[in-house]
Amino acid sequence: MIRLENVYKSYAPGQFALKGVSLEVERGEFVFLIGPSGSGKSTMLRLLLREDIADQGSVWVAGKDLSKIPSWKVPYFRRNIGSIFQDFRLLPNKSAYENVAFALEVIGKSRKAAEKQVPQILELVGLADKMHRLPNELSGGEQQRVAIARAFVNRPLILLADEPTGNLDPETAWGVMRLLERINRTGTAVVMATHDVGIVDQMRRRVVEIDSGAIARDQIRGVYGLGVHQ
Amino acid sequence: MGLSVEYVVRETAGNLWRNRLMSLAAMLTIAVSLALVGSALLLKQGVATSTQAWKGGVQLLIFMQPNATNAQSKAIVTQLGTLPSVQRYSYVNKAVSYQEFRRLFANQPDLLNSVSEAQIPPSYRVVLKNPSEAPSIGQIFNGQPGVKAVDYNFAAIQTLEKVSSIAQGVIIGLAVILLLSATVLILNVIRVAIFSRRREVTVMKLVGATNWFIRIPFMLEGFTQGLVGALIAGAAVLGIRALFNYLIQRFQVHLLSGFVLTSHDVLMTELVVFAIGVVVGTTGSALAVRRYLDV
Ligand SMILES: Nc1ncnc2c1ncn2[C@@H]1O[C@H](COP(=O)(O)OP(=O)(O)O)[C@@H](O)[C@H]1O
Ligand SMILES: [Mg+2]
Repeated sequence: MIRLENVYKSYAPGQFALKGVSLEVERGEFVFLIGPSGSGKSTMLRLLLREDIADQGSVWVAGKDLSKIPSWKVPYFRRNIGSIFQDFRLLPNKSAYENVAFALEVIGKSRKAAEKQVPQILELVGLADKMHRLPNELSGGEQQRVAIARAFVNRPLILLADEPTGNLDPETAWGVMRLLERINRTGTAVVMATHDVGIVDQMRRRVVEIDSGAIARDQIRGVYGLGVHQ
Repeated sequence: MGLSVEYVVRETAGNLWRNRLMSLAAMLTIAVSLALVGSALLLKQGVATSTQAWKGGVQLLIFMQPNATNAQSKAIVTQLGTLPSVQRYSYVNKAVSYQEFRRLFANQPDLLNSVSEAQIPPSYRVVLKNPSEAPSIGQIFNGQPGVKAVDYNFAAIQTLEKVSSIAQGVIIGLAVILLLSATVLILNVIRVAIFSRRREVTVMKLVGATNWFIRIPFMLEGFTQGLVGALIAGAAVLGIRALFNYLIQRFQVHLLSGFVLTSHDVLMTELVVFAIGVVVGTTGSALAVRRYLDV
């Protein structure tokens, strides 16, 4: 599903945000990408979304070599991938419903299809009763649920999450985690960058630790702090 | 790709409305510059028609009566052949005269229909060795049997051509400057539109909207501004034509009597105005999209 082979990426000459990263993620896996701020987590997710291209090495996602797909095909590639972020990236002047419907509209889905799919997905994320509220009338956790609904409405096989709980209090964050777990159970691989120790330790999922752009650890049922719980 | 008409119209109209003041400025600049382009073209076409008979250094026109006899014509030809001041001359037969007449008076259908080819006078175009002799040579032919009229306004025609070509240059120069500013204005309007839609653009890229899907509403906004500007200018061109015709009829300016704008001239002018408007609008927005829309 995802394969990185000896990937290098630098933003400035000589300063590598990723240096020699190799990683494989299977269909339906749940992976935490952990590491201190600036270690290269977001860079890696950006490469997976083809927002950037690796300097060296190859990045394969959903059966495609991302250095080889022409830029006009990138949008079609992205339709197979859901992504959520710390800052939600919702449109402030659109309701929850309209935010999700907008995502369908701009990839050419009919209004009819949206009328059917949007209420379903908002129901799934537990916002059926709040779908006509604007983002600023929703709590942080609820806004992130709208973003998840938008990312998942096309049932992608991969969901990329960059610190999705970074702006949420612990209790709300757990609500979001349970939702991601449910999505993962439907067969969608989830790759989530985080430095939330509590969540990583309690979920007991695969943990990939990045340190200064290199993989420092890859554990099947890992925890955040090495040795603390082992 | 499923680019729905409704979506495009809604986005484009929304952008235009959001930036309405700047859009208006861009559209008016285009309108003014294109109206100038249009007037310059009309002026050029009008002068070209009115000076048609004077092309090739012709300084003297001798119009015969439509019913001039062969003997009368021969007398004229003999004189033209023997006068030392005459460099060369040419005879313009009825058919050619008639065509010229139809072109010159194209905007006066009543007159056109009341004169048949047979009634058109043939004429002689005369090139002199020394243009300043035109009046004296003209006097020789004026009033001779079979001669209807003599015209030696060559110097004035030259002045008219010179003035009009300077005027065209100035007008076109001004129009080019205005069109460049219009392009920059449109570029700026679209830049603002892109900036005010940056969240939407981010989301669209995230969920996999194609690049053209993202670009088209912005491109169409510039296109619309160019088109609206051109429409206003197109109306102005019609107004200017009416004004020209009014002035010519009102003041009966002899020199400008041949200054006619045919429907064909006006149509061509309108087409040029529309094409330039659309090109400027599309170019401005394309530049903005290329520079500021990262897709
Ligand atoms: N757009 C950028 N331009 C320049 N440097 C960047 C950019 N994005 C990230 N970096 C640098 O790359 C390194 C990795 O950043 P990032 O991938 O955002 O780390 P993380 O998400 O783990 O905090 C950092 O040193 C950061 O300063
Ligand atoms: Mg980051």
